[in-house]
Amino acid sequence: MGFTLLNLIPPYLSGVIVDRVLLRGEKELLWQVVLLVIGATFLKSAARYFYRLIFEHISQDVVYQIRMNLYQKLQELDFTFFDQARTGDLMTRMSGDADAVRHFISWVAFSLVENVAIFSFALITLFAINYQLALVLMACTPLICLLALRLSIKVKPAFFGIREQLSKLNSVVQENISGNRVVKAFAKEEYEISKFSTENDGFKEKNLQAIRIWERYLPALDAACGGLTVVLLLVGGLMVIKGALTIGRLVIFNSFLWTLSYPLRNLGWLINDLQRFVAAAAQILALLEAEPKIKNSPTPLRKERLEGQVELVNVSFSQESGEVLREVSFTARPGETVAIVGPTGSGKSTLVNLICRFYEVMDGEILIDGVNIKEYDLTCLRSNIAVAMQDVFLFSDTIEGNIAYGLPDAGLEEVQQAARTAGAHDFITKLPAGYDTIVGERGVGLSGGQKQRIALARALLKDPAILILDDTTSSVDLETERAIQQNLKSLYKKKTIFVIAHRISSVCNADLILTLKNGRIIEAGKHEELVARKGYYYTVFQHQYGDFDLAGSEEAK
Amino acid sequence: MSRNKFDVDEDLNVEFNLDQVKRLLGYVKPYKRQIIFTVLVMLICSVTSFAGPYLIKIALDTAIPNGQIPQLILLTLVYIATLLISAYCLKLRIRNTAVMGQSIIQNLRRDLFTHLQLLPFDYYDSRPHGKILVRVVNYINTLSDLLSNGIINLITDLFTLFVIIFFMFALDYRLTLVSLTGLPLLAVALLLLKNLQRKLWQRVSRKQSNMNAYIHESICGIKVTQSFARERVNLGIFQELNDQYRTAWLKAIKIIILVNPLVENVSTLVLAAVYLAGVLWLVRGTTVGVLIAFISYINSFWFPIFNLANFYNSLLNAAAYIERIFETMDEKPSVTDNPGARLMPPITGLVEFVNVSFAYEEGEEILHEVSFTVQPGETIALVGPTGAGKTTIVNLISRFYDVTAGRVLIDGIDLREVTLKSLRSQMGVMLQDTFIFSGTIMDNIRYSRLDATDEQVIAAAKAVKAHDFIEKMEEGYYTQVNERGARLSVGERQLISFTRALLADPRILILDEATSSIDTETELLVQQGLERLLANRTSFIIAHRLSTIKNADRIMYIDQGGIVEAGTHEELMKKRGVYYRLYLSQYQFLEVI
Repeated sequence: MGFTLLNLIPPYLSGVIVDRVLLRGEKELLWQVVLLVIGATFLKSAARYFYRLIFEHISQDVVYQIRMNLYQKLQELDFTFFDQARTGDLMTRMSGDADAVRHFISWVAFSLVENVAIFSFALITLFAINYQLALVLMACTPLICLLALRLSIKVKPAFFGIREQLSKLNSVVQENISGNRVVKAFAKEEYEISKFSTENDGFKEKNLQAIRIWERYLPALDAACGGLTVVLLLVGGLMVIKGALTIGRLVIFNSFLWTLSYPLRNLGWLINDLQRFVAAAAQILALLEAEPKIKNSPTPLRKERLEGQVELVNVSFSQESGEVLREVSFTARPGETVAIVGPTGSGKSTLVNLICRFYEVMDGEILIDGVNIKEYDLTCLRSNIAVAMQDVFLFSDTIEGNIAYGLPDAGLEEVQQAARTAGAHDFITKLPAGYDTIVGERGVGLSGGQKQRIALARALLKDPAILILDDTTSSVDLETERAIQQNLKSLYKKKTIFVIAHRISSVCNADLILTLKNGRIIEAGKHEELVARKGYYYTVFQHQYGDFDLAGSEEAK
Repeated sequence: MSRNKFDVDEDLNVEFNLDQVKRLLGYVKPYKRQIIFTVLVMLICSVTSFAGPYLIKIALDTAIPNGQIPQLILLTLVYIATLLISAYCLKLRIRNTAVMGQSIIQNLRRDLFTHLQLLPFDYYDSRPHGKILVRVVNYINTLSDLLSNGIINLITDLFTLFVIIFFMFALDYRLTLVSLTGLPLLAVALLLLKNLQRKLWQRVSRKQSNMNAYIHESICGIKVTQSFARERVNLGIFQELNDQYRTAWLKAIKIIILVNPLVENVSTLVLAAVYLAGVLWLVRGTTVGVLIAFISYINSFWFPIFNLANFYNSLLNAAAYIERIFETMDEKPSVTDNPGARLMPPITGLVEFVNVSFAYEEGEEILHEVSFTVQPGETIALVGPTGAGKTTIVNLISRFYDVTAGRVLIDGIDLREVTLKSLRSQMGVMLQDTFIFSGTIMDNIRYSRLDATDEQVIAAAKAVKAHDFIEKMEEGYYTQVNERGARLSVGERQLISFTRALLADPRILILDEATSSIDTETELLVQQGLERLLANRTSFIIAHRLSTIKNADRIMYIDQGGIVEAGTHEELMKKRGVYYRLYLSQYQFLEVI
């Protein structure tokens, strides 16, 4: 704070030059004073420079930490959270809101300290000169503070409005970018532009709403601060006339008045920025305070390697839309392949999500190696399960990087081995940059079947105890699928494998096939058993292969 | 494939230059009147604020020492009047600059977004989406202050500066010349800093872009991350990016905040020079009074210079963003309406490929001289190994890409002769990647035909058997879904986008693995519904499940950049070629049993 006082030295020295050197002709002082002015300015600017630098460092460190915490929180939050959150909104918190916090610390906090220093200086000097006049002036400051407070209250919702609109803008642009293929497919560019314009115009409008409040309060605050001079002239003038104050003191008082009005004048802007900060901080805090429903138990069980015995005991699960799974029970032993078939929306993927503990079972329990999965450390549990998800998401990274996603330290050899098993090696090597080819976000640019195989290789590389293939080969041609199945059979003898699929060819060799319908297991058994049973599975089989006997059996044999 | 990923800094194609400043000014130009008006207001404001100290001087010099209370009151009243005028001017300024700044960034952002709509798939495929997003939202936001307050201040400061220099010359030209020596000194210092500053800000913007890209990807891919228990690794990567951004920022700021002290010190040196020269010249005609007056001018002389230096500073900062924004706007759309393109008349559905060759990248042909004709109303199935070019063929029919050689004709019209909108609005394309927008399911389906009534939406959903599962959701068609389509299984998402394609009532329907995740039973029902609906439409189906394609009028087997076989299921089976082998391969497992 001390350097703010340095601010006062150059003007003081200027005064000395005028009074003594110019008016009284003490020319020998000139050099000394001039050097002093230069020195003081240099010191002051250097001090201010480092002072600002310190604030920049602090603000960057704080925001760095906030971003780390936010990012970590995002990593921890569970699927239920992400099912509801919009990407654009989360992006706003990580970028715009974090930046508002940075601005607050680097600039607002910096100015706040500076202004408080000046204001305290004003209090001391003005009271020292004449406490009565100082008291009168001080009496006016609550009025100014009141105005500032009103501004603060009024402007707060405006900032929340801007903040929310920014998030909407972010969302509409983000979705447009991510959905660009659909936009083009339906030639809906104009509609997108109109959707965007609504939010873009809204963003302007929300900003102008805040402006309407500033334009009411900020000039008023400014005038009120100028009013201090009026009070000084009137009250001080009368005091001089009444003989309670000398004119000289009044002049000095006047020359120091800015130390009182300057910080007050800045008050409006500072409060403004403060409310902007509050709006941003509220969003950041809300995210930081979000608690994942799925957490480690207080005494989590950690095991390097699980055997892979999966047991479901009367598992039920429901969502807002109603029951998804009802009393599902089965056991999968290490080395076994369990296939799950059933209509769209019958709960197959939910079952997978429950085994990975992405959602919590509502009734019943899931045991792995005889232990309830809630007992396991989450990381330990999930490291032992590899899922190739139905909804393939690839990262904008090289193919090698994508396959090694679960095992970043894996060497190229291992990556290639996994790719071979997944039937992906051939097409990858045909790409111009091979394994170093960078694929776009979501893997666009690759065909559906290629993406699925990369996702499969990614899962295989993890070498898990439990492998879950959720509709992983639906877009892979039949020959490749067959090769993949044979690879899995020979290489994954001791693993527990779950296969979810619609193609009979994908599931028929499983040790156990479960048919799921409306959240219940309606059939269970091997391929032949289920075919013989003439139930749902048989119907599907008929649809896909019904004419086999008629059309192709002779040729096949 | 030269693609960008999150931890790779983007190259810059166009450096910030005078042309870009001109372009930017193009956005400011429509607000010329507001600028002139605000500058005038500012001038009035400064005149009245000059009056303030003068009034105080009179009060302190005459009214108070002479004990003239009425005069004192009069002076304070006048003072209050100047305060009110200033306040009103401030109000006008706040409003005008805000409206201006907000309107300019509104227009800039709209133009950028509109341009993005013209860019091809490649543009989106070749960089992380987060990097595009920050340009449209964050980068443009940073410009609002520069383009409103910045410009107004620039003008008023320049104006004030000239007025003051004029007064200074009028007072004492020699001292003025001494004062002006500071300017070249400052200019040289600022120019020396400039290149460094530019480089540092560019680094900041690149690191910011990388970090945002990674955040965006992390959110979109969170399910994969959690299922691979990779949170810790990602946190480490993020920490690295976060740290790079912090370091870049702190490095830049170290130089950027040098400008203020620089101006301050130069101004003090000049002030010292003026004192010395002034005192030295006292004997040669410079009076004490002139010197005192001159010194008070010199303080107001540096104030605008100080502001100008700050403006220059923010301009350099903004340049790092402006060049990125214009770079995006200069990105060439690969497929556009050709000059003189006409409207595509209502399509009957005759599709012809005449010697079509296509390469995404030069030298790597995906299709080689492919020719075929599809009659109106025909259903064509495309089969073949992944990556053989099936998707490319259907992409060419929608003209998502232009052929490298040959022609694609619909109803005898070359696609390049018609407008994209009139063509694509008659096609229903269901892509491999389903995309769900945040909003209700109803809105998502209606996306393809905005004027469709609820009844029409529901009818389409019933036709593709999506109705049942939608009805079961907690708020039926009005259930909110988010853009990642979470809560919906892939099969359900496919049904929704299927409905969407159908609702468009397209003349040509393209289904690219549209039903891969839909169970066979539902698919069969869908097909039955479709058969009626597609009776008179040309359609193309890509699928791997042979039950899906067996009923097509014609099956084309695509491999090695061309059509290997074509014919009906029966014909191809008789032929005992590649299709026959493919067909049998699905039964091979039966031997295993």
